[in-house]
Amino acid sequence: MPTVTIDDRIVEVPAGTNLIEAGQRVGIQIPHYCWHPRLSVVGQCRMCMVEIEGMPKLQTACSTQVVKDGMVVRTKTPAVLEAQRAIMEFLLINHPLDCPICDQAGECALQDYGFKHGQAFSRFRYEEKRTYPEKERVPLGPHVLLNMNRCIHCTRCVRFTQEISGTGEIGFFQRGARKEIGVFPGRPLDNPLSANVVDICPVGALTSTRFRFAERVWYLDKKPSLCTGCDVGCNVTIEHRRGRIRRYKPRLNPEVNDHWLCDFGRTTAERYDELPRLLAPRIRKDGTERAVSWREALDTTTQRLRARSNEGPLAFLGSGFLSSEEAFLLAALADAVDSPHRAIWVDSGPARRIPNPRGWIEGRDAAPNRRGAELAGLVPGKGGIDASELLVGDAAARCSFLFVADSDFGRAAHDPKVVERLRGAQFLVVMGWADTPLARVADIALPVATHAEREGTFVNVEGRLQRFSPAFPPPSQVREALSVLGELLARFRPELAGRSIAEVFADMAAQRPAFSGRRWEAIPATGTVLESIARVAPAAEG
Amino acid sequence: MAFEKVLTRNVGHPEALGVRGYRDRGGYDALTRVLRMAPEEVVEEVKRSGLRGRGGAGFPCGMKWSFVPRQHPKPKYIVCNADESEPGTFKDRLLMENDPHQLLEGCVIAGWAVGANTTYIYIRGEYTKAARILEEAVRDAYASGVLGENVLGTGFRHDIHVHRGAGAYICGEETGLLESLEGRLGQPRVKPPFPAVVGAFGCPTVINNVETLCCVTHILQRGAEWFKGIGPDERNTGPKLYAISGHVERPGTYEYPLGITFRELLEGCGGMYKGRGLKAYIPGGASAPMLGVNDQEIPLAFDHLARAGSMLGSAAVIVMDETTCVVRATLRLSRFFAHESCGQCTPCREGTNWMAKILTRIESGKGTEADLDLLASVVPNVGGISLCALGDAAQGPVKSLLAKFGDEIRDNLRHGRYPLPRQRFFDPGAAS
Amino acid sequence: MTNHATADHSILPESVRTEIDALRPRYPTTEALLLPTLHRAQRAAGGWLSPETIAAVADFLELPPAKVAAVVSFYDMFHDHPVGRHRIRLCTNLSCQLRGAEELLEVLGEELGVGEDEVSADGRCSYVQFECLGSCDTAPMMMVDDEYHENLTPERVRQIVRALD
Repeated sequence: MPTVTIDDRIVEVPAGTNLIEAGQRVGIQIPHYCWHPRLSVVGQCRMCMVEIEGMPKLQTACSTQVVKDGMVVRTKTPAVLEAQRAIMEFLLINHPLDCPICDQAGECALQDYGFKHGQAFSRFRYEEKRTYPEKERVPLGPHVLLNMNRCIHCTRCVRFTQEISGTGEIGFFQRGARKEIGVFPGRPLDNPLSANVVDICPVGALTSTRFRFAERVWYLDKKPSLCTGCDVGCNVTIEHRRGRIRRYKPRLNPEVNDHWLCDFGRTTAERYDELPRLLAPRIRKDGTERAVSWREALDTTTQRLRARSNEGPLAFLGSGFLSSEEAFLLAALADAVDSPHRAIWVDSGPARRIPNPRGWIEGRDAAPNRRGAELAGLVPGKGGIDASELLVGDAAARCSFLFVADSDFGRAAHDPKVVERLRGAQFLVVMGWADTPLARVADIALPVATHAEREGTFVNVEGRLQRFSPAFPPPSQVREALSVLGELLARFRPELAGRSIAEVFADMAAQRPAFSGRRWEAIPATGTVLESIARVAPAAEG
Repeated sequence: MAFEKVLTRNVGHPEALGVRGYRDRGGYDALTRVLRMAPEEVVEEVKRSGLRGRGGAGFPCGMKWSFVPRQHPKPKYIVCNADESEPGTFKDRLLMENDPHQLLEGCVIAGWAVGANTTYIYIRGEYTKAARILEEAVRDAYASGVLGENVLGTGFRHDIHVHRGAGAYICGEETGLLESLEGRLGQPRVKPPFPAVVGAFGCPTVINNVETLCCVTHILQRGAEWFKGIGPDERNTGPKLYAISGHVERPGTYEYPLGITFRELLEGCGGMYKGRGLKAYIPGGASAPMLGVNDQEIPLAFDHLARAGSMLGSAAVIVMDETTCVVRATLRLSRFFAHESCGQCTPCREGTNWMAKILTRIESGKGTEADLDLLASVVPNVGGISLCALGDAAQGPVKSLLAKFGDEIRDNLRHGRYPLPRQRFFDPGAAS
Repeated sequence: MTNHATADHSILPESVRTEIDALRPRYPTTEALLLPTLHRAQRAAGGWLSPETIAAVADFLELPPAKVAAVVSFYDMFHDHPVGRHRIRLCTNLSCQLRGAEELLEVLGEELGVGEDEVSADGRCSYVQFECLGSCDTAPMMMVDDEYHENLTPERVRQIVRALD
């Protein structure tokens, strides 16, 4: 591989690497606006200029590639610093002083580079700024708002719709200083990936309609997690404040979602605000309900499981929102009471797709982990009742005990017919985070954490195992499902009491072939494909 | 000065518009010879002639041709840059309207030399008459076997297509032209790669100006030595069309050996308009820095003008007399560049606009000396770091304004003389 | 020429399609047909390109309409708003400015009674300043539709404008 010297640091890079990427490898950040690792190189913003020995003029780092040894690059010479100052000045002379009202403040490349590379005063004192009248809040599409005055003409959004989404809605109109981005009348920016242009816009020209004026970004804490909208398993960053998710941002994973997140996935962050929350264990008896302690709730549950009067099946029903570890424990609980009735219900949804360097990944499940749950053992044993018998058929009415984990079946938990069927079980326990119509008819409702409040793994449509971490703790009376299931299981199998998630994962790896050889601590950040199922086509369900 | 007309020899001879008439006057001889030469020899001949591009950049033509890889899996293209939009330039129009076959012949020769079977003549959209004449000449050439599958019976295939632009100066920039040809916004491309390797439709392409290709025809007719013998030295060779306009008695296109002086050119077109005094002149189109009364002896050639701090460019000479407000003149050119900037890169998009605004304030009387200093500090960054040469070009008029007339402007500002009184050109009392 | 007041702009005329189809062999891509198509579509639509016409061109060449509209807005010879039956382009670049072009601009304003880029009340003419048209030796000059009118004086301009129907 060829080497290049940047600011006296020698770095070896694959041939064809550009100087911005080469610099990043040795911690040198060359400022840039228009370049993006996944978009074509246009060299338009002129912010990334560097000095290359032997070349009289400054060159753009984004368009200069290392192909052989010997290139010597300097990123902080007086000529470079003056060029950076000049570009910042040119960008700011017509830029509105909107920072106090602009959503981008705090994560704005104009602010950041202006501070680092610009000057602290304006020389544009007597002229009128170029503005785009009537274009301060133009809805380009359902998710994206344009303020054309703030645009710095980097064309990332134009290239995104041409090269990534392939939909071409955004054009680059006019010429010279009047140049503007926009859409064709009657053809709004309306593709499933549209909000990504908000992420890649370096400034506040393109902002999210749903996040508008919602929060100042410097108040947001950020934690890595996964989207739960479908089984593609896009990596996200949960950005939150005081226990509320404020938005998802895509987290880079070139193997799954690359730099992107679909519009639907972004909206799933809002579910936790939309549905009422189960906040304390609740027992319903003789038409009244009361909040109880966890001890009472779990004691009652255990008694019902052990009751000698149980003549009908003891059924355990999970959803695709369970983590692999939770599904494993739920199946183990069924085993502990000798029940083959372990089932999983997952809605299928519209096809969702996300592009990455290898192509597109497409998912159909409206939940993130049907595969992980099934591989962890949540499949009916011999003679076991399956999910459709419970939700569509009348098997629930025969059950002495029905444990539904988790309550969030998507549509099913709100479907009065499904609720009616499931409540036909003699004793219904519903464990979940949402106080759905199903949870409200349960004999016992057990409140557990959302995926933002716990950790675990999901296995996506391609068989990729990925870890997610908690962003914030659950409300005080709410527990993690893993610990609830673990405690219930320990009442039948005392030797399994108090196992950590790593230990649960190890048990799962020992007992379920798909996870064989994997360790909780050693799951790579970009996930890992479970070879044994990678080539199996996903089964249609629901 | 008496000088044998080369490029303009068929002007005034309308029979040359047809293949037959053109042939009768010696045309298509060069092509006939070329098709018997090895392509490499043709490139060498052009190199030896010292021909430099007549579109504005003055790049050695033979060297440009030699950048095209001999072996390449993709087809190659010749593109004739007939976009002629540099203010003050109208020579290519003269050539196309009066001697189209001279150009067509040069295109086919170029095609043979680099291995291209297709020429696109990209002609500015406003030149409707020239485009019509060219298309007629092309049709005639096909009918006469000069173009098509079997050029002059040699089995060489060459097609020429006339492609009209739609009004954008930036489409005269090589890669802006290619973008426009391909059906896109005429926004220049990042270079490298250069068109000789990745050009039209991703294929190796030679882009030459109309006058350059016309010179090629004559070089291959009469030899590199003959061409090299015209002009002041070996790096500045050949006959040249000078387009002179503005405050002169007889504006027009004049053919001279490369390197005549401004004084000779001015004399040859009847001197200053109404005998007035000279204030300033632009030697090579809007991008060329202005020269003044003390600069009339400089040979109007590539290197000589470059040494004098200006450029030959398209050899479009614009003459300004003593009634001219040079600030207004520079403002008009700055507005031109701001209007024509494609807008994709920051320094040109914002900088040309800003310079025009500052000059507007100065010209209208609302400016101060501090504005001159501001202008002086803004101008260096509009070019040099821009994506293409338009940013560099936009600097030319402003830099020379400050260099040649800075003191005069400061004096005017101190005395509050702006705006200077406008001299009406049309005397309202005189007969039309 | 089509009466653009009544023509259906959402349909690209057959004549335009036929002419463009004949040009397809000249280029390795369909995209390269865009400028030739827009010239012809504009002419057939009475001198300007409405959103419907632009969409029709986009459809014909299988290009995104936003891209076609962007191209229209980039070039000075394509108009995305109504123009007069006759389009006047008066050069006011330096060589013409030096020889009185701005005075002719005033004359045009007086004759037509409208400002720049506006259509005269009778729909006859619109006029704009234009950049160098390559006729500096016959300055001042203007382009009316496809024709150059050179060596102008205020009186010549009045004559030319009054003779337009």
